[in-house]
Amino acid sequence: MALSHAISVLLDDDLLTFNRVIGVVRRRNVPIANLTMGASQVPGVSRLSFMMQADEANADRLVRQLQKSFGVRHAAMFPAEDAVTREIALIKVRPAATNRAELAAVVLQFEAAVVEESPGAWIIAMTGVAARIESCIRALERFGILEIARSGAVAMRSGAASSPSPAPHNPSEAVL
Amino acid sequence: MSETLTGAQILCRELLAAGVDVIFGYPGGAIMPFYHALPEYPGLRHILARHEQAAAHAADGYARACGRVGVCVATSGPGATNLVTGLATAHMDSSPVLAITGQVGRNMIGRDAFQETDIIGLTLPITKYNHLVQDVSELASSVREAITIALSGRPGPVLLDIPKDVQNQKFEYEAPPAGATPGTLAPGQLAPGASPGNLEDGIRDAAELIAAAERPLLMIGHGVILGNAYAEVRALAEKTGIPVITTLLGISAFPESHPLHLGMPGMHGEVHVNRAIQHADVIVGIGLRFDDRVTGNVAAFAPRAKIVHIELDRAEIGKNIRVAVGIVGDARDVTRRLVQAVQPRNCDPWREEIQSFVRPRAESFSGDLSPEAILASIYEVTGGRCTIVTDVGQHQMWVAKHYPYERPNTHITSGGLGTMGFAVPAAIGVHVARPDESVWAISGDGGFQMNMAEIATMVQEGLSVKMAIFNNGYLGMVRQWQQFFHEKRYSCTPIWSPDYVKLAEAYGIAGWRVENRAQLEDVVERANAHTGPALVEFVIAQEANVFPMIPPGGSLSEPIESAPAPAPVV
Repeated sequence: MALSHAISVLLDDDLLTFNRVIGVVRRRNVPIANLTMGASQVPGVSRLSFMMQADEANADRLVRQLQKSFGVRHAAMFPAEDAVTREIALIKVRPAATNRAELAAVVLQFEAAVVEESPGAWIIAMTGVAARIESCIRALERFGILEIARSGAVAMRSGAASSPSPAPHNPSEAVL
Repeated sequence: MSETLTGAQILCRELLAAGVDVIFGYPGGAIMPFYHALPEYPGLRHILARHEQAAAHAADGYARACGRVGVCVATSGPGATNLVTGLATAHMDSSPVLAITGQVGRNMIGRDAFQETDIIGLTLPITKYNHLVQDVSELASSVREAITIALSGRPGPVLLDIPKDVQNQKFEYEAPPAGATPGTLAPGQLAPGASPGNLEDGIRDAAELIAAAERPLLMIGHGVILGNAYAEVRALAEKTGIPVITTLLGISAFPESHPLHLGMPGMHGEVHVNRAIQHADVIVGIGLRFDDRVTGNVAAFAPRAKIVHIELDRAEIGKNIRVAVGIVGDARDVTRRLVQAVQPRNCDPWREEIQSFVRPRAESFSGDLSPEAILASIYEVTGGRCTIVTDVGQHQMWVAKHYPYERPNTHITSGGLGTMGFAVPAAIGVHVARPDESVWAISGDGGFQMNMAEIATMVQEGLSVKMAIFNNGYLGMVRQWQQFFHEKRYSCTPIWSPDYVKLAEAYGIAGWRVENRAQLEDVVERANAHTGPALVEFVIAQEANVFPMIPPGGSLSEPIESAPAPAPVV
């Protein structure tokens, strides 16, 4: 799937708000990928980001629906080409005694790291854009991959433009 | 000064502080602490529904009739799930309803306890806001916040789920300072501070489009009623001479006797109204969302028109149709400014052109008891001083097309969700909000049978609601679709009815059956004058149809104006 837009949402750090936001995305029935959520620059406010395939107008409609969801502090979209993205992958492989040097060379080539070496398996950590991670995984296939865990891409708009830093929701302040 | 109260008492105190004086509800296990506290607060009148769905519709009807939050209460599990249709109805039609549900005790949540349901999860997509109250310390602020959200901006339903043990928890309660409560905020008005920035550019662009237009139209919806923008819309129409179209939920926002009033657009709109839309070069839409029953096939909708969309909910602008100018704001405020910005003009040649589109009304029934005659009789007998609450189906369209609404907000119906069974319970809420005028609930024989148990509620509470049943022995609108689009195969649409006069008798209320026109005036007169609930069954032609009709997904340019040639009955 060619992903055209990155959506970035700042939301109150609670499961119900997360549920509400995902509900909006599901109801709009748009294809998305790479959904991630974690801390933002504001304590109590999380950043959720994902990539979607849509034309400009549809992406904008989704953002407007997200903006009116209770608990959403900020929502914006930007074209995929304006997004800086990074993903982390953990790849567990089972090298044979004979090809460990070769495995170490692949790890070096992708600027990955061996984060655990146990008798039966190595865990490789790799950070990068999705395409680079996929190349790394292909290169590791011949060593016998046991497990893969990928974070999905965290995304941020490139350049100096940045999202606001809204305070988390405080019910006692919201009352008229 | 604080005092020690239980959660249930705090809930009652907060409702009173918000100006709530009536609750539609049904008790049960998980909400019993609230019902235990309720008699201590006689300012909160409780109306016992016969089903929680009806309690939600009644709260919705109350909210639509008086603009204040409508409150419904149910227990956990089945009580809460029964509210769902009512909340979805209120959500689609932007009605400020507060639902309060009991929940199982906090230590039981997530363990599939008796009568436990995740009502927060169930109602996420059909509420503006919902919240599980985790502790008594947050209860008061949760109630204030929920009511504020229900009423502010574009109104909508909210739900508070309150575990039974939280209702019993004790807390040092601090009453809100006077004037700090949200109950007085007019629905449709933006909350203070929420007013969007620059409206001037949009208003100037809109005024320029209106000045340059040869065939402009005003199209007004529910937002004009919610935002109390009647005078402003009328001023705009009269200053510019632009004809006014009212959507289903916009009906009664503009007097129908006014020379600039055109009628309802869309699937069952009159031919000349839809043709006007198709010929228009500018359409100014105020407080509506251009839903598919209005537009028909979007690609073919108003092909020559530049559209100005004035709407409180920014997400609605550009959602369904492409707009030339979008103005985010309150209908009243924006329209008032637009009136100042436009130059006086008239649209006389255009209005003459629209007059040339008018066609004789298609014959929609046989027999002498026509829907038009029934509605004319209700109008005459009540002198127009009544609120009509309709259900969903053919009768709803007949009322929308033929009842001559003059006074604001006297037409209440389930528009967006199209909820059959709405009229009778919603009319209970409308009557409670407007005890001094006639309230007629008009239903078909299908919708009436969905919630007719609420007659008992009217009797117990002494609510003088008038019920009209348009009985054609069919689920009429579905039958009409079967006739037009499904080879006249009337699959599962014939519907049996009880003897409604005997039903009325069983409930101890007045009841009549009208089978011909000669009986009409007398019975309507007597029913309307009767003190207490009254029911009138009108026996109408079985295959009466609503004309004209735009086929689903069709263009407004292609109305159906007569029934298809008889097909072989399969």
